[in-house]
Amino acid sequence: MKPTHVFQAEQLVAGYENKTVIHGVDLVIPSHQISVMIGANGCGKSTLLKSLARLIKPTSGNITLDGKPLAKIPPKPLARILGLLPQSPIVPEGITVADLVGRGRFPHQSLFGGWTKKDYEAVAVAMRIMNITEYANHHIDELSGGQRQRVWIAMALAQQTDILFLDEPTTFLDITYQVEILDLLTDLNRQQGTTIVMVLHDINLSARYADHIFALHQGKLVAEGKPEEVITSERVKDIFGLDCTVIKDPVSGSPLVVPKGRYHLNEAYIPS
Amino acid sequence: MSHSELKNKQPALHLPRYFTAVLVIFLALLGVCVIASLVLGSKAVNGQALIDGLFHPDIDSFEANIVRKRISRTVFSLFCGAALGVAGSLMQSVTRNPLADPSILGINTGASLFVVCGIAFLNISTANQYIGLALVGSAVTAVFVFGIGSMGRGGATPIKLVLAGAATSAALSSLVTAIMIPRSYAMDQFRFWQVGSVGSGTWSGIGAFLPFLIIGSLVAFLTAPALNALALGDDVATGLGVRTGTLRLVAALAGVLLCGATTALAGPIGFIGLLSTHLVRLILGPDLRLVIPMSAISGAIILTLSDVLGRLIGSPGELEVGVVTAFIGAPVLILLAKKAKVRSL
Amino acid sequence: MRDQALEWIMAGRRQRRRRWIVVTSLLAALAIALCCAMLLLGNTIYPVKEVIRALLGEQLKGVSFAVNTIRLPRMLAGLFAGFAFGIAGYTFQTMLRNPLANPNVIGITSGSSAAAVFCIVVLHASETLVSIASVIAGLVTVTIIYLLSRGKAFSIGRLILIGIGLQAMLDAVISYLLLVGAQQDIPAALRWLTGSLNGSQLRELPPLVAAVFVFAPVIIMLGKHLDLLELGEQSASSLGVATDKTRIILILSSVFMIAIATATTGPIAFVSFLAGPIARRLTGVGFSNVIPAGLVGVNLVLAADLIGQFAFEYRFPVGIITGLIGAPYLIFLLIQMNRKGEL
Repeated sequence: MKPTHVFQAEQLVAGYENKTVIHGVDLVIPSHQISVMIGANGCGKSTLLKSLARLIKPTSGNITLDGKPLAKIPPKPLARILGLLPQSPIVPEGITVADLVGRGRFPHQSLFGGWTKKDYEAVAVAMRIMNITEYANHHIDELSGGQRQRVWIAMALAQQTDILFLDEPTTFLDITYQVEILDLLTDLNRQQGTTIVMVLHDINLSARYADHIFALHQGKLVAEGKPEEVITSERVKDIFGLDCTVIKDPVSGSPLVVPKGRYHLNEAYIPS
Repeated sequence: MSHSELKNKQPALHLPRYFTAVLVIFLALLGVCVIASLVLGSKAVNGQALIDGLFHPDIDSFEANIVRKRISRTVFSLFCGAALGVAGSLMQSVTRNPLADPSILGINTGASLFVVCGIAFLNISTANQYIGLALVGSAVTAVFVFGIGSMGRGGATPIKLVLAGAATSAALSSLVTAIMIPRSYAMDQFRFWQVGSVGSGTWSGIGAFLPFLIIGSLVAFLTAPALNALALGDDVATGLGVRTGTLRLVAALAGVLLCGATTALAGPIGFIGLLSTHLVRLILGPDLRLVIPMSAISGAIILTLSDVLGRLIGSPGELEVGVVTAFIGAPVLILLAKKAKVRSL
Repeated sequence: MRDQALEWIMAGRRQRRRRWIVVTSLLAALAIALCCAMLLLGNTIYPVKEVIRALLGEQLKGVSFAVNTIRLPRMLAGLFAGFAFGIAGYTFQTMLRNPLANPNVIGITSGSSAAAVFCIVVLHASETLVSIASVIAGLVTVTIIYLLSRGKAFSIGRLILIGIGLQAMLDAVISYLLLVGAQQDIPAALRWLTGSLNGSQLRELPPLVAAVFVFAPVIIMLGKHLDLLELGEQSASSLGVATDKTRIILILSSVFMIAIATATTGPIAFVSFLAGPIARRLTGVGFSNVIPAGLVGVNLVLAADLIGQFAFEYRFPVGIITGLIGAPYLIFLLIQMNRKGEL
């Protein structure tokens, strides 16, 4: 089991050159759980994730890991605790799957040394978890979109961090692969105790796979907690501006948001 | 549909209110440039010598003779400038690409290569032979560069065209240099030609050049209305009854004619088309019926001015006009690249 | 099952490492062979023994002058400049993830060259001053390109276009300076516009040698960082690379090397563009290609110089030959990139 960390943000304000996106967020990332950030486009969930993963320097406020300010921790030791899979990583041409996954080992390696036994094992484990062992020596250009996404996640896994951030890991994937990826991430969380924080687009998949939900609206944290506490029809109306009814997911029992449009409304079916 | 019918469909030529003022200023500048070109240089002469040289053929003073010698050079630079200006406008509208200019697209270098080969291997020497080879070279290069630049997604975007042009230009100029250096010590013909200068303008050269200028410009003026339609996109143009393929071919040929003939006689001179066309568009808007003729005037102004500058800066020798235009033109290229939207790159 | 997967990965990795070692050794061997050829070949071909004796300091009539004054400086200039151009070009290409984004295409070498011409032709300055001026000019050029191409929407395409424009301007400046310095003879123009090893002298070399010995190891050491930067800012950063700092060190080191190499030999055309892609094609991607790229640069320069000297009736400077090789490759690369829709 991975060690427990206290990872928190206080009064976090962040954004880009002349536009503040996050307006004062306080949060504590629950250790050993899967947390999902939800919110409408432009609410700042991706910016929040990037600031937590120290890709964006906060304008003000503190982010601390085990009581230490994030900015004070040197990059390499930090990268052994905290990893992030960006939304659209860039593929170098002609690299093999194993080599790409192996690049995730950088924070564990010395400046010159080649791969150690530990490196090989970490790569092998990551690839097995992501079910891509058979492609080890293939060029990444030969893989499909879903397979590539698994390679990227494997790279983040090879990094063997205790906390893993993922920025929309299922975008552009077919629903089959979305579920597959989320299942694999849940395996990781359950088996190794990795703390996972991700931004997901699909609110229903978020509700099903999250242990903890952070709901953002216009750069502020408006609610957090268990999915069934956070996802209510009022809140969905508030943050997405969508009329809906929330029912129990017949498969998992988690909340299921059923949108109400202007058509196809049948009173006989709508639960009160 | 013929061009005359198309003309009927187009809105009547709308002259901006300040058009007369712009025209007057342009013409005045042109006059200033002509006088400057006659008077200034490694040896500056006074107004008396200018009048003597121009209007009193019987006065045989040293200074008047200097002015007389500069007349052919001045006329030549005016014509070359006009030709390059029109060629730039044509290239830009044919490719619908704000960075298209014969030099940026490498067409000049193509013409150079053929002329250099002609001098080196075929012993050519007359203006007509120069022009003939330069035209073939320009045409071949134009086809080649457009071919590469329009491969793949999105057609001939500015960045693809410019890179194709720059690469082709680099390849061809390596060849030009390789052919030229071993011979340059023996043959002065190369040295004076390669530098891109209007100093070589002779009356016989101008005579050989004139038909190309006239034909090219005429085609440009006549196709302007149809090119206006092309600016709205191929689909819209087709809808307006323009045969886009034929139009492109004709207009591109005219452009090649103009810049090929110029390169043949003056050597490779860059950026004039880019500068003059953007200057005019900035002031008068995009209507090609205005842009094309006014680009001719502004091209003549810019080239003559650059030539004078080159003579002044390089005194007692002279700085080739191609170097001066590159120095003025490149910042404009940078500015355009900076302004362009990423998506349209 | 577990061990089989591990074996698989290790086998692939071993194979790629073997390829890297073989290719790199071959490149090094070729470079050594070319260096020897540079010393042995010339107007007169002296016996190997005499060449070695001359190199060791013995005064032999004719041999000593030809070998120590002409061939050795020429070989050393080519060797170090080639290595510098190769490594620096590869660094830029990898960091900016585009083979077109190299010092030669975006005008950095032209900037250094212009400064060198100014110092040599106009100021008649010493080697040290020439090197310093070239480095400053190279850094200024990089800064200008950076300032002009950043802003609302950064794109490599825009950066390359701006670089091409800047290069056109700088080449115009060089032509002007050569005119002012009354040195508009063709050899000088060729040296400063396309690069040449003609007339290299031993006393010009110390700055270049020092630059390569100081900065090449820095880049080689940061090879892994460079590979991670290629994955993008975010990935590199989350893998523990201090991206801003690393990038600045890499840029500074490359610019120092390119600028001083340019001040010595002129901007040898297309070496910094060709070396990286060729090295990559030869060794693959799994291991850092900094050293192979440097070796490819050496081989390109030395081979091109030998071809230029001896393959034709006339002696061409090295830049003409690399230009003749490089430009078609540039076109080929563009066609490939266009086909794939990468531009």
